[in-house]
Amino acid sequence: MGQDRPLLVLENLSIGYNAVLASEISARINSGEVIAVLGPSGVGKTTLVRTIAGLIEPIDGRVHLHVDRRGGLGKIPQKLGWVRHASVYHNVNLGARASLPVLQGDSMERKKRVNSALIALGIEEKTAEPVRRLSGGQLRRVATARALAQRPSLLLADEFLSELDHNTVDVVIAAVKEMLDAGTSMVMVEHHEENVALLATRVWLIEDEKFYDFSIDEWRERVGEEE
Amino acid sequence: MRKPFIFVILSLFVLAWITLNNLVDDWGRLEGGWENLTTFVSESMWPPNWSVLEAQSYPVCEKEIEFFCSVGYLGMIETIKIAFVSTILGFIGALCLSSFAARNLMPMYIAIPFRLLLSATRSLPSLIWAIIFVIVIGFGPLAGVLAMTFYTIGYLGKLQYETFEGMPSDSLEVSKAMGLSHATTFTSIVIPETANHLLSQLMFMFEYNVRHGTVIGIVGAGGIGYYINTYLKFLQYDKVLALLIIIFIVVVIIDMLSLILRSFVTDEGDVRRPSWLRAIREATFGSRNPSMK
Repeated sequence: MGQDRPLLVLENLSIGYNAVLASEISARINSGEVIAVLGPSGVGKTTLVRTIAGLIEPIDGRVHLHVDRRGGLGKIPQKLGWVRHASVYHNVNLGARASLPVLQGDSMERKKRVNSALIALGIEEKTAEPVRRLSGGQLRRVATARALAQRPSLLLADEFLSELDHNTVDVVIAAVKEMLDAGTSMVMVEHHEENVALLATRVWLIEDEKFYDFSIDEWRERVGEEE
Repeated sequence: MRKPFIFVILSLFVLAWITLNNLVDDWGRLEGGWENLTTFVSESMWPPNWSVLEAQSYPVCEKEIEFFCSVGYLGMIETIKIAFVSTILGFIGALCLSSFAARNLMPMYIAIPFRLLLSATRSLPSLIWAIIFVIVIGFGPLAGVLAMTFYTIGYLGKLQYETFEGMPSDSLEVSKAMGLSHATTFTSIVIPETANHLLSQLMFMFEYNVRHGTVIGIVGAGGIGYYINTYLKFLQYDKVLALLIIIFIVVVIIDMLSLILRSFVTDEGDVRRPSWLRAIREATFGSRNPSMK
């Protein structure tokens, strides 16, 4: 785990739309860390992820993101964000184009990244298929493949393992682990404890408008005490 | 939910009726209107004079089939050409401007000036644009093309940026988070996502421009309108009716093409496309089932 410049620093952040959902959020993410954001429904987990992505302004405080703004940040939103009327290849290629823009990037490298992402997620046979024809599980694979082809420094994944059968979860987790091994850090909004245990190195908990930052060992201890 | 809806509709109807009543000073004018219309149609317009599909006496027709030298064919083809060129140029121009005018693609300080520009272009009807260009470059189809291109930019631009603003936000959020450029976002996300609407608007605008070709032709901007204007001046309403029927047939064909074209980008369309027969039926009589299965 690198201890150099953190990828992300949240400085006394208050998040929400009109009303404050959570406040006094101060945390940092170092290279190689995987953060699981936990908490009951509606406490602001997705809002926190969207604030980090720069999609909404924080009510108070600051977000310091030290990644390349062109392709350094990846996102798998809850609704996956695919282009419905385009093919699987087109959607996955968007990820590669983010970090290797058409006018600057190497097109062969881009193609290679897309193909290896499609193979890693087991959707290489669906390359030409319009995504609107795919099942829910296949769509999540496409969204993950897009992130894999992008190779971001920091990936924000919002419930990307929900509604998946066990086989698909295994495939998606294997692909994500490959990305993490290559140096990507991740913030994942998650509900399932087993997925947290598999991937996370830290846990951010939002509860009663308060923010808590645990190492995974501290979190396991807390869960053990509660049980 | 239903009662307030009916109440709103009824209130709007009453308001419209009061406004109409305020506008009309003498309802007695309606008396004999129907009779005047039937007399005009039966004595002056009906039956349509299909000599408009025969070769003109001058210039001498050198083609084997006379139809290709007729007023109906030449006027309609010129109108279609003017409409086609101006729709394509206007569509491209509108896409460039509307991509900067949509609030979900651009910050407000950029979107607002582009919206104002589109509003200014749209606020002049195509007829006024035609008069301006006839004054600037003289009579002929080029004035028509320029007039309709400018109007198309203003009209389509508004429809387009409203369509972009109505598209699902999640794919745009991904694009923004990933740091995709405006050009990539627009060409690779926005256009594929809204293709069905854009094609529909494009075909509607083409149809609109074909129909409006008759109006701008009247002020000397070329096309079938030039001939309609001539026949109106000489009170040859039966020939005018024949030309209007030709325009109607062309509009139906365009509507049919639109249905076929849009089926390529609808959810069900790539599974089963509408047959030509079905397209003709729906273009002529309207769709019975909106699901297009």
